[in-house]
Amino acid sequence: MSTDLLIVFYAMIGGAIRVSTPFLFVALGECLTEKSGRINLGLEGNLILGAMVAYAVSYNSGSPWLGVLAAGAAGVVLGAAHGWICKLPKVNDIAIGLAFMSLGTGLAFFFGKPYIQPSAPRLESLPIGSWSQNPQVQQALQVNPLFFVGIALAFALWWALRNTRAGLTVRMVGDSAASARAMGVNINLVRLLATAAGGFLAGVGGAFLSLSYPGSWNEGLSSGQGLMAVALVIFARWNPLRCVLAALLFGAAGALGPSLQAVGVTYGYHFFNAAPYILTLGIMIASARSKSAAQEAPRELSIVK
Amino acid sequence: MSSAFPSDTTRARLAARLRQSLPDARLIEPAIIPLAALAAAALLFSVFLLILGKSPVTFFSLVWTGGFSSWFSIQNALQRAAPLILTGLAFAIPARIGLTLLGAEGALVLGGFTAAVTALPMQAAGLPAQVILPVMALAGMAVGAFWMGIAGWLKHVRGVNETISSLLLTYIAIAIASFLIEGPFRDPGSANKPSTQPLGPDLRIGEMFGSSVHWGLAAGLVLAVVLWVVMARTSFGFAARMTGGNLRAAQGQGLPVGRLLLTCCAIAGACAGLAGFFEVGAIHGQANASLAAGYGFTGILVAFLARQNPLAVVPVAILFGALDAAGGLVQRRMEMPDATMLVLQGFIFLILLVSDTFYGRLPFLDYHSSRDRT
Amino acid sequence: MTGALMNQIVQPPTRALSLATEGITKIFGAMRALDDVSVQVEAGSFHALLGENGAGKSTLVKCIMGFYEADAGSVLLDGARMSLHSPRQAQARGIGMVYQHFTLVPCLTAAENLVMARSDAPSVINWRAETRALEAFMDRMPFRVRLDAQVADLSAGEKQKLEILKLLYLDQRFLILDEPTSVMTPGEADEVLTLLRGMAERKEITVLMISHKFREVKAFCDSFTVLRLGRVTGRGDAQASSVAEMSRMMIGETTLRERAPRQSRARGQPRLTLDKVCASDETGRRVVDHVSLGIASGEILGIAGVSGNGQSALVEVLAGQRPMTGGGLMVDGTPFSPRRTQLDRFKVFGLPEEPLRNAVVPRMSVAENIAFRRFDKPPLAGRLGLISPSRIRAEGAALIRRYNVKTSSADAPIETLSGGNVQRAVLARELSGDVDVLIVANPCFGLDFASVAEIRAQIMDQRNRGAAVLLISEDLDEILELSDRIAVMSEGRLGPAAAVEDTNRAEIGRQMGGH
Repeated sequence: MSTDLLIVFYAMIGGAIRVSTPFLFVALGECLTEKSGRINLGLEGNLILGAMVAYAVSYNSGSPWLGVLAAGAAGVVLGAAHGWICKLPKVNDIAIGLAFMSLGTGLAFFFGKPYIQPSAPRLESLPIGSWSQNPQVQQALQVNPLFFVGIALAFALWWALRNTRAGLTVRMVGDSAASARAMGVNINLVRLLATAAGGFLAGVGGAFLSLSYPGSWNEGLSSGQGLMAVALVIFARWNPLRCVLAALLFGAAGALGPSLQAVGVTYGYHFFNAAPYILTLGIMIASARSKSAAQEAPRELSIVK
Repeated sequence: MSSAFPSDTTRARLAARLRQSLPDARLIEPAIIPLAALAAAALLFSVFLLILGKSPVTFFSLVWTGGFSSWFSIQNALQRAAPLILTGLAFAIPARIGLTLLGAEGALVLGGFTAAVTALPMQAAGLPAQVILPVMALAGMAVGAFWMGIAGWLKHVRGVNETISSLLLTYIAIAIASFLIEGPFRDPGSANKPSTQPLGPDLRIGEMFGSSVHWGLAAGLVLAVVLWVVMARTSFGFAARMTGGNLRAAQGQGLPVGRLLLTCCAIAGACAGLAGFFEVGAIHGQANASLAAGYGFTGILVAFLARQNPLAVVPVAILFGALDAAGGLVQRRMEMPDATMLVLQGFIFLILLVSDTFYGRLPFLDYHSSRDRT
Repeated sequence: MTGALMNQIVQPPTRALSLATEGITKIFGAMRALDDVSVQVEAGSFHALLGENGAGKSTLVKCIMGFYEADAGSVLLDGARMSLHSPRQAQARGIGMVYQHFTLVPCLTAAENLVMARSDAPSVINWRAETRALEAFMDRMPFRVRLDAQVADLSAGEKQKLEILKLLYLDQRFLILDEPTSVMTPGEADEVLTLLRGMAERKEITVLMISHKFREVKAFCDSFTVLRLGRVTGRGDAQASSVAEMSRMMIGETTLRERAPRQSRARGQPRLTLDKVCASDETGRRVVDHVSLGIASGEILGIAGVSGNGQSALVEVLAGQRPMTGGGLMVDGTPFSPRRTQLDRFKVFGLPEEPLRNAVVPRMSVAENIAFRRFDKPPLAGRLGLISPSRIRAEGAALIRRYNVKTSSADAPIETLSGGNVQRAVLARELSGDVDVLIVANPCFGLDFASVAEIRAQIMDQRNRGAAVLLISEDLDEILELSDRIAVMSEGRLGPAAAVEDTNRAEIGRQMGGH
């Protein structure tokens, strides 16, 4: 019995890391975008399109890392389009996000049909669990290098937002557009670049889904992860380092179901699948009227104005 | 010899003449800008098709054939339009009060499920269809209203962003429905596809007047008219529009903002729940995974194209019903994946939202008409 | 020896810049915002730019700063013609501006704001070195602000000081100040203006100050220019000219409306009572702190105070836009909450500040906006709550005529109206019936003289008819002109009310500064 518990424990850790990686990338991307004062609800579309592009490019070229880059590129295109459209007057940026979500998903499903069956080269994971004798534990502790890339990115972003001119400019644009304008900063350009960079990261997150875990392309790959990342960023109070912790928390919630299934617990698996959504809703309620969230929110963000 | 091209002054005079002959800009814009957006989206999609080596002409003629050309295809379109009217209303009504609620899909699923299971004990007790059907409908509407109300209530008391919360609630709703359908309420006879017990034949909602379109369409039409009257011609609707237009001004006038928000959410949820009732009663005969067919999400696009006007939702829903009806035909004949319509819808949605920027800025329209009465 | 003598006679070069505009013209569409404007500001002078709202002062300085390109004319800096296309270029030439709204970033610290304001800010910032340099700079300055304080936590007066310090940090030598003292207590205003005047006299800087406060102009400025409707209507020596002459140049020959006759009456029982009202902001900080007051029929109680001391929050509580966390409201001795039925029963009406933001729905028509108080009652509402748009339009049209609201039609969206006309529409809605309690906040902000006079006359009229009026305003002159009693709000607390004849500007200023 205790080996079962141990297996669940390691499965949770490995699962948390695995499931959290796409959340981490999308959250960091959305964090950067929102720091500049823009909200991008279309990241779900970036995620799904990125997953498909990564898989397709990996299949056709044989190199999964090329797939990752291609996914990022697709994300940049969607993000830049979002950033460019939102600068037009009278455009509703929340609705635009929904439109990109539906367009990204549509394009991904349209072009992705031929890739559902074939098997593309996947990203190799690092075998962190090689110290264990138990093959299940070894299996559980396979960690993708992208996870470490994500953590490094989080630190880099956190540092840059405080110590570089570019980072402080982004914060300025997101907190007080009037001040930025008075200093001659091109607000629309900064937001466009931030949204494009955010799109890149979301695309990379999508690549992880199709090339690492779950590791295949199909139309049910993501359901709402992109949107949950927006809630995650609010929960992390727009701090890249807290985004890492929040992503791990979400990853743990998402790993609960599969971990229990690994030891044969299948009852109520619907609720375990719903766990991330329930968790997200819970933290949204908790952080909604939170005083610290009010203090740390970028003041130009439309949902907190 | 006069020049072939009109001079600057001639052009200015023509523009002024055009401006004078067109009716007031405020009346024209809500009609021509969405139509222009539709046309632009069709154009963009045509370019998309050409790049893929497919013919736009074939595409649009197949859409015409499959959606409009025969009595059969028109009925097909109307049949698929029925739930879209209701889910379109489910987005449009809260939008008028300033809420962006994406929960119609969840409310539809839960409403349909509730309708399906409330029928069973009454059916077993031998009650007549005239009693069972209204109860089913009301139960579905009540559950839908409650579910949508959660997002509105969270927004009002805690300021939780309703767009994200309503979408999360949709996923949770589908999970709850799946759990109940595959578990306690599963019909033992439905091995391959878990479903609730099928409804008896007399409980199936029939077609209207010998056509093959079920009564859900009539319900949608009636609700569209009623809700238009409510929003445009009653003090409730006026108060709701005030709240949607400027919350602070509405508060300053002492309006019961919380009550207004919840009522609008309840109306929206009831519409979506009713759509679920018709899906179960008229189409499937039982509740299963087919309920989550995406009508809730397409309804969002319908509402946007109709500019949140309940009456305009009807023709737009019929248009999308036609696209849906023609979808299968197009995909088979042109050998394109079934996501084709999704891509077209994505283009329409995006270009429609971008067209928002043109309100108040069209050069050939007169925005300060002196013909207005004061 | 002659050389040494020469060295003694030669004056040190002045750092202060001189600036002149020649024939500046700026046209926006059909409107001539500036028409052939020529202004001379000598090096080291403290020059006032006077004019009422809409005269073109902001437009002129934006042309100087490079925000706008003038359609004609030029700007000369130290005698040399220059063309500026962006604020950054103006900054590089030594011209800096303090705007009416703050251009500080709230989430950054004072130090971060200062460093980021530099056009040569490094790509990677070494905070240790920068902090050292900033401390050294602060030591040289006559007033200072905490470098590590987040700007969001600074008071309005401290923020304004930081804005000025920013210009000095950037080594600007021609300072343009746009109504700099509107958010300061009289004490802070005097401190800052005295110091700037000292620097100008030492020829370290030149100051061009936009103001409408004659008292400050007379106390600190040496020269002035007056703009009216985009044209220069006068210039002169600020010390030699009288206030009457200056105001005649500002508003022309139209006589200022006399202060409306005030009917005296014995003070009865309070109609509107606030009892220890408290409210907090989103971060939990208390912004309204146990405010108590009572207003009787036929009197105006004015609440004076510098912006940001809780006045807006108090108005929001009264308007139902902000929840009350403690205390109570009463009208005629009965507990009151700003719900629609009670607003009607007690005949409570309001003119909130920033009407486009607080009192009207921009996209709805003028007639609909005017109907906001009455759309759910007969005659506008019939059975089943059905309303008739034509009746709304007819009623609206009648009130539009009566209150002189200039609009292209009753159906035009109210956002197409000018500020003064939006306020007139709100007046038409709120003051056209019987008013028992009236709550007014900053009613005349940003409006032209004619609208201002009209609105103040309306308020006085309601008071004479017996309404209990609460007037909250950041314009001390307005408070002094209209109020019967005055109380001062500072840091969320309300001081005791004094009759207007028992108090004066100095006393009020002292209370604004929190004693």
